[in-house]
Amino acid sequence: MTSKYKRVSGDAVEYEVFARKTRGEPLHQVGSVVAPDDDLAMAYARATYDEERWCEMAIVRKEDVIELWQPGEA
Amino acid sequence: MSLSDLVLSIADNKQMLGLRYAEWATRAPSLEADIAAAAMGLDDLGHSRVLYGCLEPLGSDPRGPDRESDPGSLRALPYFDRPWDEWAQFVAANAILDTAFTVMIESCVNGSVEVLRQRLRKMLMEERYHFLHGRSWLRSGIDAGPMNVAWQEAVEWFGPPDGEVATMHREGRLAMGPAGLRGRLEEQLGMKAPKLSIDWKSWDPIRRRGKPGAVDEPTFGMLRGLEEKKYAPPSAAAKQA
Repeated sequence: MTSKYKRVSGDAVEYEVFARKTRGEPLHQVGSVVAPDDDLAMAYARATYDEERWCEMAIVRKEDVIELWQPGEA
Repeated sequence: MSLSDLVLSIADNKQMLGLRYAEWATRAPSLEADIAAAAMGLDDLGHSRVLYGCLEPLGSDPRGPDRESDPGSLRALPYFDRPWDEWAQFVAANAILDTAFTVMIESCVNGSVEVLRQRLRKMLMEERYHFLHGRSWLRSGIDAGPMNVAWQEAVEWFGPPDGEVATMHREGRLAMGPAGLRGRLEEQLGMKAPKLSIDWKSWDPIRRRGKPGAVDEPTFGMLRGLEEKKYAPPSAAAKQA
């Protein structure tokens, strides 16, 4: 029955999730979610990483992160 | 029908919506959707508790003793009478009915009744994520059947053009009347309701539904804690007695 929902696997992309508990600390990565669009990624991030009382949460498409170097390359 | 009756209707519907969401916490099409179903279920069960807590400050609590024994005394919509068999039913409830309840809550928050203005505001923030979830899945395309049923029940739930919701809107207690609520729901979802045929003469103004019926027995038993008692060890039953 669920196979018709191609978007879940075929169209989905990975988003990195960032959050912080207080204004004084920087945002740090708390995990990732896979979703077909920004709206669903926001809903999934909020549902998945709600174990803390975050004062801020943000998501970024993983493909939009520009890497300078990776482990072993520095 | 009083404002308390309306708040009880929102509470009962959110309780049932929360339970039905939770039933999909291990059946949704992806792990993320499973988690979202569980989280939204918890949100709505929490919202129902806040709403039940508003009844006393509103001055009258319409809940009677029959709620312990009669599933027909609950004020939830027919959409929640049975567990959902298809993901499309989940999506239609998530996008259309959940948003319809949110629009009504928005109407309470922007109305003149202080207890509702204060206590319900936080729900609107949490509901934003339910809306994003539902709208996104709705845009992915689902069968028209569950969507049409959800629209029908949402518009019926807003009430007739000359009913109590319209009166409370005129009095300023609610910020929107039935037409405004429907317009807001359509605006939020970016779509028009399908052509609907509503027989207001057979509509139940207390349960805010057009169809008779009630929630299924196992669900009612779970709500009342009866299912747990069924499986409790004899020693626990003896202690309770």
